[in-house]
Amino acid sequence: MGKAASDDDRPLIERVRRGDQDAARTLYERYFDRIYNYAYARLGRAEDAEDLAIDTMTRSLTRLDLFQDQGVAFSSWVYRIAHNATIDHYRRHGKVTLVPLDDATLPQSADPSELAIEHLSNEDLRLALRDLTDEQQQVLILRFFQDLTAAQVADIMGKSVGAVQALQHRALGSLERALQGRAVN
Amino acid sequence: MPEVQRLEALAERLRAVDPTMPSPAAKIRGWNLVSAAVQQSATVRSRSHSVKRLLLAAVAAAVLLVAGAIAASADSLPDSALYPLKAVVEQARGAFAFTPSDQLTYHLDLARTRLTEAEAMIARHRFDLASQALNAMNDQLNNAAVLVQTEKLADPAMAADMEKRLLQAIATHDRQLAGLQGQVTNPAAQNAISEARDRAAQAVQLAKTPAANPSDKGPGNGSASPHPTPKH
Repeated sequence: MGKAASDDDRPLIERVRRGDQDAARTLYERYFDRIYNYAYARLGRAEDAEDLAIDTMTRSLTRLDLFQDQGVAFSSWVYRIAHNATIDHYRRHGKVTLVPLDDATLPQSADPSELAIEHLSNEDLRLALRDLTDEQQQVLILRFFQDLTAAQVADIMGKSVGAVQALQHRALGSLERALQGRAVN
Repeated sequence: MPEVQRLEALAERLRAVDPTMPSPAAKIRGWNLVSAAVQQSATVRSRSHSVKRLLLAAVAAAVLLVAGAIAASADSLPDSALYPLKAVVEQARGAFAFTPSDQLTYHLDLARTRLTEAEAMIARHRFDLASQALNAMNDQLNNAAVLVQTEKLADPAMAADMEKRLLQAIATHDRQLAGLQGQVTNPAAQNAISEARDRAAQAVQLAKTPAANPSDKGPGNGSASPHPTPKH
């Protein structure tokens, strides 16, 4: 997954504003896969991820007048739209309310040192990730699945870099406990 | 294993998760939908810009039209369609005359303008309009005379200067009216000019009359009007 481009996007955005389809296509190619990947990590279903990615790209490329006022990179704006679309999806289709795992009671037998990370499958990780809170999921997906820097994630989430780093630390701890809980059960 | 190392290892494991990619069909379907929406949005934006441009052009044209009409009305005569606009502009000008001296200038300007209009109307044989213009001229001279009289109580030195200006203006107007009276043969026009000269003379008297001191007010002069010449 490539790094989010922002400076390169400006000329393309101007061209899309003038109705240039080629520029729109370039931005679509640049972001669609990333947004699909983000959506799949959040929702876990290919069909839902497709719909969410298409919806996000449509909103991003047709509401460029709103982007002007946001004061953030275009990539951050696209991720924000994707995040909001995820929240809308949960609202429409329902989502299990999660207890933050910071506060959850772990099984007595769970010993953090017993977790064999190398034996975890990708699917184990994806499922355990969805046990986390909304913010914890978002920070881990953006940092590790999307390979964004803490500064880029801070821009997307509207937080300071320090707050993102603290959130990331807590999220990894929660994920570890979630994986242990799944292993015990 | 310490917590920091465990979490770093977990972070590395997350980085190694293969990205899930959309199917080519999904990507094509997505582009078709996005492309249509972008095209439609551009069309709507373009239409909206056209409407905005049209509105701006209409507003600019209206502003130019009003400004042109105001400019043209400045020289309009009583028989012109723009003449009512001239009156409105004159009224507005009066609102900006704050000091008695400015107000006097304003009344004298209007009196001179009405006299010019009356001359033009007589030349066009519009004696009714000429008579109206002369009446309006006398109203302005009368207002100026009342102003001078009022100022005599507040600032006698200023009032003396204003009185001098008013008398000079009336004298100039009277010479013009006398010349005009010698040229016209129409009886109605003759009467209108004669009446205008009489009323101008009354304005002179009014301006020269010493201001009544409020403390001298007796039972007889308590109701005396400061306007010896009736206003029209």
